[in-house]
Amino acid sequence: MRNWRRRTTSASAAAVVIAALQIGATPASSQSDVYKAPRTADGKPNLNGIWQALNTANWDLQTHAARPGPVALGAVGAAPAGLGVVEGNEIPYLPEAAAKKKENFANRLTADPEIKCYLPGVPRATYMPYPFQIVQTPKHIMMAYEYAGAARTIFMDKAPASPADTWMGHSVGRFEGDTLVVDVTSFTDQTWLDRAGNFHSDALHVVERYTPRSADALTYSATIEDPKVFSRPWTISMPLYRRLEKNAQVLEFKCVEFAEELMYGHLRKQTNR
Amino acid sequence: MNHRCLTTLGGLISAMALLAPGFAAAQSNTNATTKAPSAASIVPRTPDGKPDLQGVWDFKTITPLERPRELGDKAFFTAEEAAAWEKDENRRQNRDLIDPETGGLNYPAGGVVPYNEFWYERGDKTIGSRRTSLIVDPPNGRLPPWTPEGKVKADARAVTGRETQLGRPKADSWEDRPLQERCIMGLNAGPPMTPGAYNNNVQLFQSPDTVVIFTEMVHDARIVPMDGRPFLNIPQWKGESRGRWDGDTLVVETKNFKRETSLPGSSASTHLIERFTRTDANTLLYEFTVTDPTTWTRPWTAVVPMTRSEDPIYEYACHEGNHALAGILAGARADEKAAQEAAKKGSK
Repeated sequence: MRNWRRRTTSASAAAVVIAALQIGATPASSQSDVYKAPRTADGKPNLNGIWQALNTANWDLQTHAARPGPVALGAVGAAPAGLGVVEGNEIPYLPEAAAKKKENFANRLTADPEIKCYLPGVPRATYMPYPFQIVQTPKHIMMAYEYAGAARTIFMDKAPASPADTWMGHSVGRFEGDTLVVDVTSFTDQTWLDRAGNFHSDALHVVERYTPRSADALTYSATIEDPKVFSRPWTISMPLYRRLEKNAQVLEFKCVEFAEELMYGHLRKQTNR
Repeated sequence: MNHRCLTTLGGLISAMALLAPGFAAAQSNTNATTKAPSAASIVPRTPDGKPDLQGVWDFKTITPLERPRELGDKAFFTAEEAAAWEKDENRRQNRDLIDPETGGLNYPAGGVVPYNEFWYERGDKTIGSRRTSLIVDPPNGRLPPWTPEGKVKADARAVTGRETQLGRPKADSWEDRPLQERCIMGLNAGPPMTPGAYNNNVQLFQSPDTVVIFTEMVHDARIVPMDGRPFLNIPQWKGESRGRWDGDTLVVETKNFKRETSLPGSSASTHLIERFTRTDANTLLYEFTVTDPTTWTRPWTAVVPMTRSEDPIYEYACHEGNHALAGILAGARADEKAAQEAAKKGSK
């Protein structure tokens, strides 16, 4: 337990250093240095709203060229090329895990849990190509994702112990200045990090940081630590954008029914013709 | 909330669904999880002056949706009657005391009692008002008569339900199974929320322009805009909800259901009004009115008192753990195969 705590601390320290380096790098992110978010009634940065990533992280966290998808879907199923979101573009897999990632990649068009409409886990929920809504209250922050109706509660006040391993993790949050920092633990080993087969074990520990950078954008970063799979913590970061459409709202994407034929089709009664 | 089930119990869900219209009959024990904190008739308020309804609310009770027929015109129990009824009903509901050979509760003799008592977390207490049903209107505490279309569906459901209870579920495809078994809709998650076998918990969140109704069953976060925006009129499984304040009562209007609500027999034309009123620090009065002219000959209203809970909402990853649905389908295929082989043997 004590070791775990120490690891946590060093992971977030690393994230801070990396974030600091980044801030100097581009004029856009330097805004977050000066931007001060509007406040909620209890004086916290106001993160309420509907947000969405606008990148290809859900296809592949690392820099990648465009590539084909399932034959039947032609261009529709192809993966767009994209800039990576991993700091340094390297994911530090342990040797065995690197082999597993390779295998996952080869099988990605059948093995990705997203295909079955399974809960996406964290941080993947954040950068799926669907919006999510933050509903902020003093004691709890609700994050409601459109994909699969996934949702999670971030405990800001008294956090109970996690009762069991979960798909969406056990989230405990706090504000550091304008940044919402969320410590997420208690994961299953069943979710992937993207459609390219990047994965983790049940030892996954994620520290997320949500920092307002303008009225309509947040900087999101997640430091990922998993001693069973990675040799060191590593960090992804990206902007999240506010959905500005009039009456924007998170709609229902209950995708179970879209996965049933795939999952249970072989068990359907065969009619004799 | 000790042995809250974290994975799906398709069989259980199916069994519960079959109790319709007396899915009410499946309700039983409440243990109030609340240690009453402060003395509290003062309703707390959010900074914008609205009643603060936030927190986890527990809606389990043994009081049935519909008044048991044998109670006739009796709308309320005395304290003694409530205690006696509660005791009898808890015994009647106890799955461990039902012998499948002889049947009991709603289970036919020679049928299947899919889950033992361990799996249940239904209420074991009657509601505080000692009303004999959750339905307050019609005054007889019963669902209104079916429309002709509602009757046809109810009769068909009764037949398939009985077959399932006898161990012969109709399962040519997953589409023959109820939405609860497919983890698309929660048995009791609603809208509207109705006490059921387990996961009778909901958490409310309020920001200045949004309310979220987060039910434990099938992790449904129903987002309710409070800013007066129009309906989009697109069909969704849990409909489209819009909220407003009526004095100190939160009123949520929901329509545009895709197929049915979690109420057995209901149709896509359901129009639902839910009213949430915090009557004291530990009680949220939940009242709902269902108008579904396709199914019922008149609107009806139920009142469910919810009790504040200090426990968190658990993650109920229903679809992810749904081994039961594959098992039900595979079982049906195995039965067919066995029947074919038996027929072959017989013809030789």
